[in-house]
Amino acid sequence: MEKQEQQFKKDWKLSAVFVVTGLFIGALLTVQFQSSIPSSTFLSDELRAQKDLIDGYVDDQGLLKSKIVGLRTEISEAQERAEASIQTANLETLKALKEEIGLTSLRGPGVEIVIDDGIFVNRDNPDTVSQSLVHASDLRDIVNILRTARAQAISINGQRVIATTSISSVGNTILVNNFHLLPPFTVSALGSPDVIMQRLNDPTALPDLAKRTKDLNIQFMAQSKEGILIPEYSGNLSSQYISEVDVTKQ
Amino acid sequence: MKQLHNIKKREVSILLTAVLLGFLIALQARSFEDVSDVINRNNRSDVFREIQILKDTNGQLRDEIDDLEDQLVKVSNNQDALDSVREEIDQYEALTGKIDISGPGLHVQISGDIQALWLTDMVNELLSAGAEAVSVNSIRLTNKTAGFDTIPSGQIMINSVILNEPYTIEAIGERSVLENALIQPEGIIERLQRSVNGVEVVVEQRDAVTMEKVL
Repeated sequence: MEKQEQQFKKDWKLSAVFVVTGLFIGALLTVQFQSSIPSSTFLSDELRAQKDLIDGYVDDQGLLKSKIVGLRTEISEAQERAEASIQTANLETLKALKEEIGLTSLRGPGVEIVIDDGIFVNRDNPDTVSQSLVHASDLRDIVNILRTARAQAISINGQRVIATTSISSVGNTILVNNFHLLPPFTVSALGSPDVIMQRLNDPTALPDLAKRTKDLNIQFMAQSKEGILIPEYSGNLSSQYISEVDVTKQ
Repeated sequence: MKQLHNIKKREVSILLTAVLLGFLIALQARSFEDVSDVINRNNRSDVFREIQILKDTNGQLRDEIDDLEDQLVKVSNNQDALDSVREEIDQYEALTGKIDISGPGLHVQISGDIQALWLTDMVNELLSAGAEAVSVNSIRLTNKTAGFDTIPSGQIMINSVILNEPYTIEAIGERSVLENALIQPEGIIERLQRSVNGVEVVVEQRDAVTMEKVL
């Protein structure tokens, strides 16, 4: 009798263990099927489609920009041919304004900065530590410092930086003039090499970048150069919202 | 003998359950990892934004090409050539700050002890949202403007002018787009207020923002 009771107790305990285990497994299964994780093939297909779409737009953008540069050159040439009716004074004013805006390429002495993600860093890997990536904010800080050093013209990977240029990031992609740029980034600046180098070497100028370079997270190199070429701005300039203030009404 | 057999059967069941359990736990942990990867990358929303930016930019570039093609036709005709050049001069004078300009836009006032980098970022955010002209404390930002400098006292200086609080940033452009760019969740204002204690930012849409020419 006692043996039977013991057996019963033992069976009951075992059943309890199984019930608890079953509940636990049930809970796990529920959580498992409730997490709506895209299956890997779906995700990679979608990513590939997105990448194709982006590549298509980027290709288009390159073509459109080169067409704009070509048209601006054609217009300048046609204006020079029609010089007699346009008057030389107007053409000179126009030329000076274009140079000031950034519509002409320039060559001269200056500084070239090359900045790159940390060694062995994969930008596309989501686990990458953000400290070892070059961010849009780093490029903005560099451009700002170059401007304080009175750089005459600046470009990043061949994209001319003008007054209305934005340097932003979308995820890990950096957009300059809304144009995709990939590391390494070459920031070229025309101006006094001494003044610019002095500003760049000032430890208070780019404190965060200096720290990350020192910790070997970021690769940063700046050097003076004689013949730096800064290309012309190739984006759009049309303004929809700006109007001239009518002085006579004031 | 029967009991021994029973015990073995039980042990095998428990073992199998444990294996299954282990498998599930591992699977679950892996799924959580996947979820966190997706969150880290901010993949989905960002890609759509990226595509939207590219699409918009390409549209603007096509418009610019249309304008330039019209201009080329005009220049080829001697009669219109002079007008076209004058139009171009007017446009560039407005862009380089040679004349006073006005337009709908945004007025942003920042009160608080902030670093120069926040002004750089705020201006960038407005440009990224399509601002056509930006000024800081009434100083129009052009290609000739020096960058934001910080002098040893901690004050921010631009074009050798010390900027005093409150900082006023004005921008000409599509008002609602400019405002949304600043006030969106996780946008620059939210990040600024999280980073710097006690900063007050007031954003107002204005029918007319006027910017004086650069002397």
